[in-house]
Amino acid sequence: MSEQLSADIVVIGSGIVGSLAARRLALQGASVLILEAGPRLDRGRVVAAFRNSPIKGNWMSPYPPSPWAPHPIYVPKDNGYLKQAGPYPYPAEYIRAVGGTTWHWAAMAWRLVPNDVRIKSLYGVGVDWPMSYEELDPWYQEAEELIGVAGAPDTGSPRNQPFPMEPVAEPWSMRRFRERLAPAYAVVANTVARNSRSYGGRPACVGNNSCQPICPVNAQYLGINAVEAAEVAGAKVVPNAVVYRIEHDAKGRIAAVHYYDPDKGTHRVTGKTFILAANGIESPKLLLLSASDKYPNGLANSSDMVGRHLMDHPSTSITFYADEELWLGRGPQSPSSINTLRDGAFRSEHAPYRLDFTNISQVLSVTQDLIKEGVYGTEFDKQLRWRAAHQVSVKNVLEVLPDPDNRITLSSEKDAMGIPKPEAHYSIGDYTRRAAEVSKADFARIAELMGGTGLRYSAEGNFANNQHITGTMSMGNDPKSSVVDGFGRTHDHENLFICSTGVMPTAATMNSTLTGIALALRTAGHILPKPANAHAAVSNAEREASLS
Amino acid sequence: MTNELEDVMASHDVPADPSRRRLLAGLLTAYTASLIPWALAQPAPHADRGAFTALSAILVGRQALDATQTARLYDALVADDAHFPADVQTLLTLINQRQIDPQQLQNVLDTEHSPLAKLPRKIVGAWYLGVVGSDEAARCIVYETALNAVVVADVLKPPTYAYGTYASWANKPI
Ligand SMILES: Cc1cc2nc3c(=O)[nH]c(=O)nc-3n(C[C@H](O)[C@H](O)[C@H](O)COP(=O)(O)OP(=O)(O)OC[C@H]3O[C@@H](n4cnc5c(N)ncnc54)[C@H](O)[C@@H]3O)c2cc1C
Ligand code: SF4
Repeated sequence: MSEQLSADIVVIGSGIVGSLAARRLALQGASVLILEAGPRLDRGRVVAAFRNSPIKGNWMSPYPPSPWAPHPIYVPKDNGYLKQAGPYPYPAEYIRAVGGTTWHWAAMAWRLVPNDVRIKSLYGVGVDWPMSYEELDPWYQEAEELIGVAGAPDTGSPRNQPFPMEPVAEPWSMRRFRERLAPAYAVVANTVARNSRSYGGRPACVGNNSCQPICPVNAQYLGINAVEAAEVAGAKVVPNAVVYRIEHDAKGRIAAVHYYDPDKGTHRVTGKTFILAANGIESPKLLLLSASDKYPNGLANSSDMVGRHLMDHPSTSITFYADEELWLGRGPQSPSSINTLRDGAFRSEHAPYRLDFTNISQVLSVTQDLIKEGVYGTEFDKQLRWRAAHQVSVKNVLEVLPDPDNRITLSSEKDAMGIPKPEAHYSIGDYTRRAAEVSKADFARIAELMGGTGLRYSAEGNFANNQHITGTMSMGNDPKSSVVDGFGRTHDHENLFICSTGVMPTAATMNSTLTGIALALRTAGHILPKPANAHAAVSNAEREASLS
Repeated sequence: MTNELEDVMASHDVPADPSRRRLLAGLLTAYTASLIPWALAQPAPHADRGAFTALSAILVGRQALDATQTARLYDALVADDAHFPADVQTLLTLINQRQIDPQQLQNVLDTEHSPLAKLPRKIVGAWYLGVVGSDEAARCIVYETALNAVVVADVLKPPTYAYGTYASWANKPI
């Protein structure tokens, strides 16, 4: 055992969620230590690795796993890290590196709609959250100002303060969707952590169209920006520190965490307060791994809810050729959505959904199609240009209800460090499947309004996954049915908090990270309360930063 | 530690390899190789490469192919499969003798269960995607000058390259 590390606050995981909680606590004067399983990456080298990648359709390709902190890889071959217990596959994607998974996110930074937190009361499905939307509003605002969110007012999510930035300029393709789908559908700009002007010392977007897997110019906020902000605030980050056990004392308080370095040397880190922020899969894994005589089912698990209620956002889609040249691929990848189906009385019958337009360049996929079809000679260029100009795609982003049988457990298989791998048990319920059926009519109508030909629906019963891991450490007021309280404190351990999208008790229809950050800031504010004008203070700091 | 991981880690101990990309930067200098009937007459280090140039030109419908890129793709294809040069000669001969329209080629090979049926896709994939080999053996040989980038270069930049100043994408593309 080498040096003894200790801090007021020990954070496990340097993803965007944990790092922003760490930053806030460090600014409050606490000593903060962030233990991160993966290595530090270099943006320029990630860009180079992507350009050199033979599988550019796979956004994990520039993020190879480290032997000491593996993450799931599926292409070209499943590395077998996330075990699949079925019945439906759950091919979660995440990155174990300093900064975490948002190295390659799309930076959609949506708020919930107010009714999302009351679906049990209003529609008789799922569960209610232990807080109202109004309580979340100031924390959303703080999160949005920190990460630099650009958005339009008409998305269905009310707010008391303006967005930090105007929406990102609308690509021509999305303008044509907006014009041609009106008035049947309102197409609005996505709410995104992408700069529409210089903000936070980072430049405006220049349209590289590689937001996934990497923004080369730092126009899109990433977890690594959060790590750097935490470091500026005084937090210390230890990379390559794979936490494998959380240790409690006789009273059930957390006393220390243990990590392996890449050579499997062991280290013990003590602290006063512990924050688990290792994402919606690795965090429950760690709680289960930390079982002891006193807590034979794992920590924070007296309810048996750790790892359960796994949710994400499955999608079905339509791809077709519009009757005019739209040339997807100019500007950012995720510019626009239809938000009007995110709530309604129908939620007692089927899932709500957001309809999401991609602006990802179609060049790669149509090239692959043409090669598959065996098109050669001068026809190839002609077809390639025509399809790249006309091909478009729309997907739904469907809500999944919490189901205790959908869960993360410990696999009997172990990784190279001897740590059990996570295992996913997953299925897609009828509530979600019914919505996929309903949304087909929307797909057809959208295609019709765009003069669509060559309509291709995603294969029946096939759902793509959106990598929004939620539910596995759900918050609630009742310790019998939830893992943490409304402030992220575990019901079972007074000084153990969880900051993660995994604390969200329902998944709603929006990408979950902004909500995860807002909840984490609220948790940090609960651990160390700020003076009454706390939110304003952070906003001013960010405003100043944005002028730099 | 894996090489792929070393490629993206920030550690200064890991040797950088910028030459890989810098090599690609100036590839657009025009060196034109004529196609059938002239392709075989073009200077090529050997007949195998000449056949590859000619077959490539037919398959990708080009009157000119960059010589450096031709050489790089050829070398990679040979490294991936030692039979490649002989297969290219055989297929070129087949097309010459039977005057097969490129549009019909795959169909003909598939129908006849030809052992060469996989060859055109290999070559076209190399040119248009810049990728040689499959699955774990796949390698990216060129990116910015892969033909699928070149064909749309008046409208799109390859992903990771800036499209233009902020909001330039709001205009009509063409
Ligand atoms: C392709 C893709 C696109 C996405 N797009 C969007 C989007 O547009 N909008 C959106 O809201 N969300 C998006 N997401 C989801 C988003 O990335 C996650 O919600 C977000 O990363 C969650 O943040 P986090 O900090 O909780 O977890 P992570 O970012 O996963 O970070 C967790 C960190 O904990 C570390 N860790 C894990 N285990 C240990 C351990 N044992 N010891 C120490 N450290 C550990 C990990 O290495 C990692 O760095 C996308 C995801 C993917 C894969
Ligand atoms: S379009 Fe380019 S600059 Fe803009 S966010 Fe995406 S990758 Fe970054």
